[in-house]
Formats: sequence, C-alpha cells, structure tokens
Amino acid sequence: MFSGAASTIATKVDSAFLFILVICVLMLLLITFLMVFFVIKYRRDKNPIPTNIEGNFLLEVVWTVVPTILVIAMFYYGWIGYREMETIPEDAMPVKVTAQMWSWSFEYENGTRSDELVVPINQPVKLELFSRDVLHSLFVPAFRIKKDVVPGIRTTLWFTGDEEGTYDLLCTEYCGLRHSDMLSRVVVMSQDAFASWMAGKTAHEAAEPAGRQLLESQGCLGCHSLDGSRIVGPTLKGIFGRKGRVLTDGAERDVVADEDYLRRSIVKPNADVVVGYPPIMPSQEGILSDEQIDAIIEYLKTLQ
Amino acid sequence: MNDMTAAAHGSHPSGLSYLEEPGRYGGIRSWLLTTDHKRIALLYLTSVLTFYAVGIALGVLMRLELLTPGETIVKPQTYNAIFTLHGVIMIFLFVIPGVPAIFGNFFLPLLIGAKDVAFPRINLFSWYLYIAGAFFAVTSLFTGGGPPDTGWTFYAPYSIRTGTNVSLAVFAAFVLGFSSILTGLNFVTTIHRLRAPGMTWTRMPLFVWATYATAWVQVLATPIIGITLLLVILERFFGVGIFDPEKGGDPILFQHLFWIYSHPAVYIMILPGMGVITEIIPVFARRTIFGYKAIAYSSVAIAALGSLVWGHHMFVSGQSYTANVIFSFITFLVAIPSAIKVFNWVATLYKGSILIAPPFLFALSFIFLFSIGGLTGLMQGALSVNVHIHDTYFVVGHFHYVMFGGTAYAFFAGLHYWYPKMFGRMYSQRTATLACTIMFIGFNMLYFTMLVLGLQGMPRRYYDYLPQFHTGHVIATVGSWILVSGLIVMFANLLIALRKGERAAADPWGGKTLEWQVPSPPPHENFEEIPVIDRGAYDYD
Amino acid sequence: MDQTHTASESSAVHRDDVGARIGMWLFLFTELILFGGLFLLYAVYRYLHPQEFHEAAKELNVVLGAANTLILLTSSFTMVMSISYIGEGEKKKSIAALGLTIALALAFLVNKYFEWTAKFHHGLYPNSPELAARSHGDNLFYGLYYSMTGLHGLHVLVGVVLLSVVLVYIVKDKVNPDNFIVLDNSGLYWHLVDIIWIYLFPLFYLIT
Repeated sequence: MFSGAASTIATKVDSAFLFILVICVLMLLLITFLMVFFVIKYRRDKNPIPTNIEGNFLLEVVWTVVPTILVIAMFYYGWIGYREMETIPEDAMPVKVTAQMWSWSFEYENGTRSDELVVPINQPVKLELFSRDVLHSLFVPAFRIKKDVVPGIRTTLWFTGDEEGTYDLLCTEYCGLRHSDMLSRVVVMSQDAFASWMAGKTAHEAAEPAGRQLLESQGCLGCHSLDGSRIVGPTLKGIFGRKGRVLTDGAERDVVADEDYLRRSIVKPNADVVVGYPPIMPSQEGILSDEQIDAIIEYLKTLQ
Repeated sequence: MNDMTAAAHGSHPSGLSYLEEPGRYGGIRSWLLTTDHKRIALLYLTSVLTFYAVGIALGVLMRLELLTPGETIVKPQTYNAIFTLHGVIMIFLFVIPGVPAIFGNFFLPLLIGAKDVAFPRINLFSWYLYIAGAFFAVTSLFTGGGPPDTGWTFYAPYSIRTGTNVSLAVFAAFVLGFSSILTGLNFVTTIHRLRAPGMTWTRMPLFVWATYATAWVQVLATPIIGITLLLVILERFFGVGIFDPEKGGDPILFQHLFWIYSHPAVYIMILPGMGVITEIIPVFARRTIFGYKAIAYSSVAIAALGSLVWGHHMFVSGQSYTANVIFSFITFLVAIPSAIKVFNWVATLYKGSILIAPPFLFALSFIFLFSIGGLTGLMQGALSVNVHIHDTYFVVGHFHYVMFGGTAYAFFAGLHYWYPKMFGRMYSQRTATLACTIMFIGFNMLYFTMLVLGLQGMPRRYYDYLPQFHTGHVIATVGSWILVSGLIVMFANLLIALRKGERAAADPWGGKTLEWQVPSPPPHENFEEIPVIDRGAYDYD
Repeated sequence: MDQTHTASESSAVHRDDVGARIGMWLFLFTELILFGGLFLLYAVYRYLHPQEFHEAAKELNVVLGAANTLILLTSSFTMVMSISYIGEGEKKKSIAALGLTIALALAFLVNKYFEWTAKFHHGLYPNSPELAARSHGDNLFYGLYYSMTGLHGLHVLVGVVLLSVVLVYIVKDKVNPDNFIVLDNSGLYWHLVDIIWIYLFPLFYLIT
C-alpha cells in the first residue's frame, strides 16, 4: 500500500489487498471497455436497427459462477491474514493502553508509563485496550492494525514491529471535540536501546513528583497544559493562587484558586466552571484517593 | 385513436395536465392538500433538492476547512457539527427519500397502469412527516446545546454524554424513519393491488421490481433504527442505561442495532437507483433489456442478503472473531447479485441502436462510478484489509462512490430521463452533457483522492491532519469545486428549462413503458382508461 | 345487511378493503419489529446477567401484572364483539362494546400508573440513587422494564385515542355495516397491543 509497511502483519495485509486490487482493476477495465466499445460500435447512426436479445442463460450462469469463485478467493485471502491478527503469540510483551478524551497512555509490565508507545524490534507486543469515557480506536497505519477501545469491555490487539523508526498512532473512532488531536507515536527501537530507555524512564519516574506522574497517567494533560498554552481547559501553569471568574449554578463570580477550590474542581469539576471553557471535565471522585489529590495540589503549587 | 394522435403531439385530449388541474382546492392549497401522487412527488422534489443544496454547501465547507492543516475557516466544534449535519441531511433527507419518494411516487402508478397509489392520503401524510423531521433536524441547530456533534451514526456512549442537541436530531431521524416506513407500506400495497389487468409480475418494469424490494426493506428494517434512536433519547432524558457502559449497557449492542437498520438502508438507497438505470438503458439502446429475470431477482437477492451483512461495519469494534468471519463471507456474497446487474446492463448495449443523450450519459457514469464503489466495497469486505482501512478516508471515498456516484447519479439520470414527462418541457441537452462531463472529472478528483488518502492512513472525521496528507486534501478540495460547478450548471439548466424549455413530446426518447403512452405532462388521473397489458415492459419488436 | 363482501367488491374503484388490510398488516409488522429490537436487547442482557434478572423480577407485583393481563384479554374480546356487532348491523351494541374496550384500556393505564408510582416510591426508577447503588444487571432490568412497558403503555394510549375516534365514526355512521374496515383495522392494532403485553407479562413478572 502507500504508506511504508513496518510490521510482520503489514506485508500480509498488503498482499491480500494487492490480490483483490488486481482482480478489481481487471473487472473495472473489462466493464468500462465493453461499455465504451458497445456505445461506439452500436451508436444509432452506425447501427440504426437493433437486434433484440432477451438474455442468454449460459452467460448468466458464467457471470454468476465466476464472480462467486473470485469473491470466495478474496474472502479466504482476507480471512487468513485476519486469523493471524487475532492469534496473539504466547510470548507477546503486554502493554496496557488507556484511552480517554483526548490522550493515550501506555503502561508497561513493570508499571512504568509513557505517552508514546516504545517497543523493541522483532518482539511481539500485545496491547490491552481500556477506555475511560467513550469509544476510541487505536490505529497504526504503518502496522496495518486497528481496534476499537470500548468502555466497559477489554479489547486486545498485537503486532511485531520489524523496522526501527517512529510511526504515527491515531484515534479512528470519533470521540468529540479534539478527536483529530488524539495522536501519539510508536517508537520501534533495538532491544538494547529499548532496555536502556526503559531503565532511564523508570529512574526518571521515580524521581518525578507524585503529582506530576498522576497528571500524566490520568490523562489530565490532554486538556490542561503545563506551559501556559490554552488547549481545552485552563492551563495549570500558575494555577495556584490565580484569580478568575467562574460560573456557579449559572451565576458568574470571582474566585481565587486556593486548595479548597482546586480540590472541588477535581472532585466536582462542573460545580465551578471557569468562564469561557466548556463544562465537560469528568469527575475524578472515586478515581483518585484523597492522598493522590493532595499530591496533585502540592505539585500544582510548584507550577508558578 | 384520436387520443393517440393528440398524445403524440404532447397536448391533452381532455384539456388539463396534472399541473393545471384545479382539483378540490385552489392556489397553494391545491399543492399542500393534494393527494395526487404526481403533485406529492413534486412536493418531495422541491423539498429534497432544497436539503440537498444545504448538504452540498456543508460538504463544500468541510472541504474548504481541510484545504490547509489546522484552522482554515471554522473551529473544531463547528467542523464536528458540520460533518454530522452533512451526514444526517444527505442520508435521511436526500439519499433515502430521493429516488423512491420522488420517482417512485411519480412513476410507480404510471408504470403499472394505476391512477394513484393505494393510500393517497397516507402518501401526503408521509410528506408532512418528512417536512416535520426536516424541521426538527434544522431546529436542533439553533436550540439546546447547539448543533449535534456525534457523526450521523450517533454512536453510544458519546451520543449520550455530549452536551449538544443530539436528542432533537435523533428524534428528527425517528420521524423521518416513520415517513419512510409509510412510503414503503404504500408502495408494497400499491404493487400488490393496483397493477393494471394483464400486468403480471414478470411484465412489470424493472424500476417497479426495484421499488418493490426497497419498499419491503423500508418496512422491515426501519423500525429497528426507530427503537434504537428512541432508546438514545430515553437514555439522554431519563438515563435508562441500556447503552451506557457505566450502568452495564453495551455500546457494541448499540452498533449492532444501528447497523441492522443502517446497512439494509444502504440498499434502500441504491436499489431504486439501480431500477432507474434499468429503465434508461434499454430505451437508449432501443432494444429489450438483457436478462429481465436475472435483474429482477437480483434486486430481491440484494434486499435479502443485504439484511444479513450489517456486522461488516464492526470488524474492529471488538465483536467476536466468528461473527466477523461470517459477516465477511456474506458480505462477499452480496457482491454477486450487484455484479449480475452490472453485467446485464452492459450486455443490453450489445447490438443495440444507441442514442447518446444526457440521461444515458448519466447512466453510463453511474455504471462506472458504481462499479468503483462496489469493487472498493470488496476490498473492505476482506477482513485483514478492512482492519487497515476501516474508519479512514477509504471508507468515505467508497461510500461516496456508492451513494453519490451510485444513487445520486441514478437520481440525475432519472431526472434527465423523466424531466420531459414530469414538466412537459425539454432542457438543453448540450448543457446537460457539459454538466455531466464537468461533474465526472470533479467527482473522481474528489473521491478517488479520498481512497488514496485512506490507504495512506488518513482517519475520517478529522478536523486537522498530519502533514503527509496535505497534498491529497488539496487535490480533493479542488475536485470539490469542479464537482460543485458541474452541479450548478446541471441544476441551472433544468431550472431554466422549466420556463424556457421547448415543449416536449409524449415520448421523446422512444420508451415503451406505460408512462410514455400518456401525454406530457400526464393528466390528473393518469389514464383515461386503465390500459390492458398483453406484453412485457421492454418489448421493442 | 350481511352482504358486506359483495358490497366491497362492487365498489372496488373507490375502495379496496383488501388493500387496506394489507397496509394494516404491514404496519403491524413494523410494530412487531420495533418491539422486536427491545426483546432482542432483553434476551442479550438476560443472557449476560441471569442472576440479577432473576432477583429483580421477584420485586415486580405479579398481582397487578396479572390483573392487567386479564383486563387486556377482556378488552380484546370486547373489541371482537364490537366488530361482530357492526357486521350484523347492531350499531348500539357495537358502540357499547367499543366503549367497554376503551374503558378497559383506561383501566389498564390507571393500573400501570399505580404500579409505576409504587416502584418510584421504592426508589426504583432510572438514574435513581437506589439503582445506582445496585448491580449492572438490576440497572438493565429496570431500564428495560421502564422502556418496554412505557412504550407499550404509549401504544395503549394511542389505542384509546384511535378507538375513540372510531367510536365517533360509528355514531356518525361513517363506519357502518357496509363499510367498517376502519373498525376492523383498529381491532387488528388493538390485538397487537394485547399480544405484546402477553409477551411482556411473563418476561418481566413470571420468569423469576
């Protein structure tokens, strides 16, 4: 196909596609050629007297049977590739993928998290997909893989990257306002590079403040930036102590973002909505413990 | 015999055509309260084309937004609303009612030698339901939380959670579904009860067969979408939880119910179009249709098999492996009756005496574009390939080849074919040919590019895109401009001809079916006397 | 008076009773499929949550449900009576039977009202805190219970309106012994409403 193939399954998908494509192109050429040929050959000024032919049983049988054989071949070709896609190897490395509006988060076996999927080359990887809110779909064009992420249901898919490089990972199930920004990347690297990346990442994470880790793992940063830029919600830069207008029960009022306000905004986000922003943040009640919320607030204080 | 000579000159023996007949009411009420199937068809024609224009405008806006990455003319929320409305309007207000409600209404009774449909008042009521549904759809833009932003599929749980005005839009689709059911019910009864004496099933014109198969699908499939949409409304207002995963509901079940209707609906959309093409081709080849029975039964086969393939919209949804394999297999089978139709159409050209005129050119374009639509459908039927191209621009390109290149082109073909009969005037054939050519170029530039973009991995419903997709989007947008120019030329030509066109004869193309044996435009009661049929529909001997 | 069949055939140009009946049957098909979608959902969710459905069904009031079943069955009978009387030219009896049908339909709705309010008092309604605290299966059971009996109740209500209109038609002789296809078709609709309840009753109340 038209974007480079970089997984073991990709070549199989492409050959099935090519097989069908060739048959289809031949069919289309045949139909178009006959159509144009007849129109030219039998146009009224050249062939004023038509010949009535009501049908031909043999022909009907031929053009029923031949397409039937062809489509069954296509079906079979598509099926065997798919069978492989759905058969997850025993030794596949599991990665837990959490999707939410509008970010991806990847968690490796040792608990380390990242917002880009990093995998070693030639290693089967099994993705377990979870959604926090609505439907999403994980798509890596270069690997020819895709699977919906369904809230309440666990779905899986697997691949083996066979070429080092960085590949786009996209959401392909419409999920609201910033659906087209729900992008990430897959980095396929050598076994050694992966091992050292993992070691570095794990060490870095241990050193990072707990609040920061939570913001990342809970996907908060999909809507709230840390650098002052406006995404979907207000930026978290300098949030502690910031003055602003919020909408409470339909009435505007001024508030200062103190600890109580921040806590309320995490537990009951739509009680006070900052003016100019949509009331769409999901409540974190029951998802985050009190200690975790404390950790987040402590971290927010440092973002001045 | 006097009638015959008068009809040949296109004048009316009894004086007035259906357009002039005063009926029970005068003025505007003679239209709004009419039970004449031909006038109702024109009511539909006017309203359907109005919404088609709105749909096109939204499509052009979308293409314009995608001309450059990032923001071009609208914000993301607006863009999401635009593609939702483009889908809802095109599907529910144009493609589904287009051919059946306009040409079905106008020509079904004429083609079977009847004076009207079985339930003329229900027929008018269907139109009012259509208008009510359209009204709700439009109202949903300006009320509540703003225009719906779910895509026309209303997938749960997003459709349950979004703050936009989904409920009203969903209710609009429900009302439109009811309108569609009543039209289907009317046509099935009409075909069973009102065929002229001697009009046996195998003497029926093939457009009637196609309408018959469609009407059954309308009656049997539409209630499923009705209940599904009702549940979405109940969910939004009362939180019954049937599709909400937080309460145990299964979002995949929503998709099943949605596609149990919406896939057969694809055949509701395409079958009548195929019927139109089947009427046109023998007339312009001046010979009988090749394989009458094969074409007639393949309509029924498509309707039957097409009801069993909905799961192919859900290959990556998480539905079971076995289900996927079965759905893929049946999907390939449904290609066969469609292929049979195409082969029979092409074979009808063999040794014909072919008149090249606008309706015929649109019909040829239909065969070419629909073939691409069908063949790209095969690619998606193959499981492993589907995984890659599902929910990408490939799908968007594919269904535009089928719905636009198929149904809408059949609609244009039918419009040019029956225009002289409906309005008693002839349009400029040169301009129509020009429009057809421009549209053909623009169409392929727009939608073929989408197929390529999809293979490259461009997902659908994206407001923004990665830099590698830029070239494709520019080509597609330019293609949309060409296509729209062609459409404008085509419609302008037809509009001008309403007043300025030459008077049309009763049978300008040399058709043999019954509608060409009455004057143009037909009289109020269609036939002075119900004809007695003693030969097949395409008897050119 | 009992020559209705020949009467309808001789005036076939303006009127087609067979056609009207075909149309009605097609409409009833669509109704069946409308409810069919809900029955399908019920089947799937019952399969997924057998235990919860089993327990939840015990909470419904079988006596009220059975009473409503009796009411609807009787109303179907009076409906048939009404049609049969009009065929025999007994206009007054026909009106009485139809009036009784309408009264029974209203009784059904009143009964349903009490049943629903009782459930509401127990905090069992969609989105209630009580249900939110319960299992997914319970939520689905009550979601389906309210959706299905609600939609059915709506059909009963439409039936009341429809039958009342036909009643007026009979009084005004628009529906008469020579032409009572409207009454006939309304009867078909009413039987459908009855039949759907015959399925709803065991599914929600009896299978525990």
